[in-house]
Amino acid sequence: MPILEITDLTKRYGDTLAVDGVSFSIDEGETYGLLGPNGAGKTTTISMIVGVLDRDGGEVRLDGRLHSVTNAETKALIGYVPQDLALYQDLTARENLRFFGRLYGLAGAEGTRKVGEVLEAVGLSDRANEQVAKFSGGMMRRLNIAIGLLNKPRLLILDEPTAGVDPQSRNAILNTVQQLAGEGVAVLYTTHYMEEAERLCDRVGIVDLGRMKAEGTRRELVSLVGENDRVLLKGDGDMKQAAAVLSGMPDIKQVTVDGADAELIVTDARGTLPGVFETLTRAGVHVRSVEVREPDLEAVFLHLTGKALRD
Amino acid sequence: MKVTAIGLLNLRRVFRDRANIFFVIITPFVMIFVMGLFFGGNQQLRLGVTGASGPLAERLATAFDSGDVRVERVGDADALRADVERGRLHSGVIIPATYDSDVQSGKQSEVRLITRPNDWGAVDLGSWVRTAVQQEAALLKAARFAAQERGDSFDDALRTVATATVPGIDVQVSAGGRAAVPSGLSQFAVSAPPLLLLYTFLTAMTTAIGLVQARTSGVLRRMYASPTPARSLVAGEAAGRLIISLVQGLLIMLGSALLFGVDWGDPLGAAAILLLFSLIGGGAALLLGSMRSEGGALSLGVVLGLGLGALGGTMVPLETFSGTLRTIAMFTPHAWGYEGFAELVRHGAGILDILPQLGVLAAFAAVLFTLGVWRLRRVLVAGN
Repeated sequence: MPILEITDLTKRYGDTLAVDGVSFSIDEGETYGLLGPNGAGKTTTISMIVGVLDRDGGEVRLDGRLHSVTNAETKALIGYVPQDLALYQDLTARENLRFFGRLYGLAGAEGTRKVGEVLEAVGLSDRANEQVAKFSGGMMRRLNIAIGLLNKPRLLILDEPTAGVDPQSRNAILNTVQQLAGEGVAVLYTTHYMEEAERLCDRVGIVDLGRMKAEGTRRELVSLVGENDRVLLKGDGDMKQAAAVLSGMPDIKQVTVDGADAELIVTDARGTLPGVFETLTRAGVHVRSVEVREPDLEAVFLHLTGKALRD
Repeated sequence: MKVTAIGLLNLRRVFRDRANIFFVIITPFVMIFVMGLFFGGNQQLRLGVTGASGPLAERLATAFDSGDVRVERVGDADALRADVERGRLHSGVIIPATYDSDVQSGKQSEVRLITRPNDWGAVDLGSWVRTAVQQEAALLKAARFAAQERGDSFDDALRTVATATVPGIDVQVSAGGRAAVPSGLSQFAVSAPPLLLLYTFLTAMTTAIGLVQARTSGVLRRMYASPTPARSLVAGEAAGRLIISLVQGLLIMLGSALLFGVDWGDPLGAAAILLLFSLIGGGAALLLGSMRSEGGALSLGVVLGLGLGALGGTMVPLETFSGTLRTIAMFTPHAWGYEGFAELVRHGAGILDILPQLGVLAAFAAVLFTLGVWRLRRVLVAGN
């Protein structure tokens, strides 16, 4: 069942259509990556989902309920981790959490317990009483996420949560997100790191110029743009003869041979490889190494937007 | 509850910072003390005298002495000149060594007055020295005349003349209205109220920077993403600014009463001025906090805090302003606060006596607070 359903979401700034009829949904336990180049309309879309910006058209539903900037009930279902380090740097981590907890109605013993839980979840329990200004960038990012977890959200929105953090903290953050999704939390994730989207996201939506260009699983997106897999082989034997045989196989679109090296363009490398090995063995070629290069999201993104994700 | 949480968070953030404690609490008391010394205390003018030490010279030196002028003997002319130049003395008089003999023999004698340029105390003192010298000269002339006419010695004639009661011309002085600063009022009672106004407004301006930071860092946006209505967020931020001003104002009032014995007069009147002025500062802070840039808000905050403070009589007493400047000053809330406190502290007025001042302050507060709340809410819901 979808936790978040967005239909035909629209936002206009003067003559500029910042978000133009964007629709998608996220199921319980699903991690959805919203990718797009700078200025694509991601932040505006997220602002409307979070409930800090009024939409001009379309609707946002949370757990089936119509969501808006004034709906406190649906806002309480969302955990928001903004791109900025939205923290009071002169307060301690615990004080920050207690304050934001109060905004979600968490006070007294319940507030204390919840603060302890999220500190534990992001690995900051031992630094809870230190002033945030003394934290490293990674620790601040983790605290930023902890605030988003305070209200035990049904939908967690993370807007570039790993920007500018060290690899160790990044890994910890990604693990936390995976764990939350495993616990049934729907996650909306934006990032400038394609490998993060590949690792975390069950489905990805690619937006550009305010419009949803494509969405689906990684495999669906790749097939949508017609990208093929590449298989790089090294072998001992008559590679030219082997190439002639391989060219006749149904899934192989192209074979190029250069000495002991051969490159195959195939529609589905994983499905084709057993047949390839069998054919080469029959042709007397001993395969020394195989490398499969499947088209990645970066290639899809480039194909759809004409830009690299980090542009 | 959320409004209170936001308000108290603002208060805690201001008062946990040591630099803020220095600026918000300690500096006002230091300034009340310093300005108090400047305004009040011992206002005697110091006149140095050196030169002849004969009986007639001593007579003249004594003639300079009065309630407002303290005469100090100085070793020689060089020391006297140095003391005047350094400002230890307002002015100095050099009585020539031949003063007694010149006067007794009927010769012209010349007393020299040493002053410093642009010293208003020296101007007053110069006038007083000339008057005292003229009175003494008139006495000496009368004594010389009596000695010549009656054949007495000059000293006998001088004694006779000095003790004679001759009806003269008297100047009757009657004051209209009332003294701006009644005599006997503590100098700190003069310095504390304007400085309370200056510092509470300045603090409000500086807390506006925190609001800009909260907006630019995304904290306010994050708060708005929580199930907290925009009106509660704005109310919380407004309450925070109001509480900070009130706490600072109360600390200044209580502290100055305990440390310097300042009597703030009718508690209801003083509380009403403080509350309205805190609302004015809070409203201005909300407006300023809606600015896009932290640097811009800081610059404008300092200009407004110091500019309005200076124009409103919190640095230089309002009573010293010329007519036009005084009229302009009344466009600032500070001037109305100043006048309200002056009525309470200096003239023992009650809350009903300062209703005009409270009315104007209430109007300022209503306009600024409404504008501030409206502007911050607008900025918040626009997603800025």
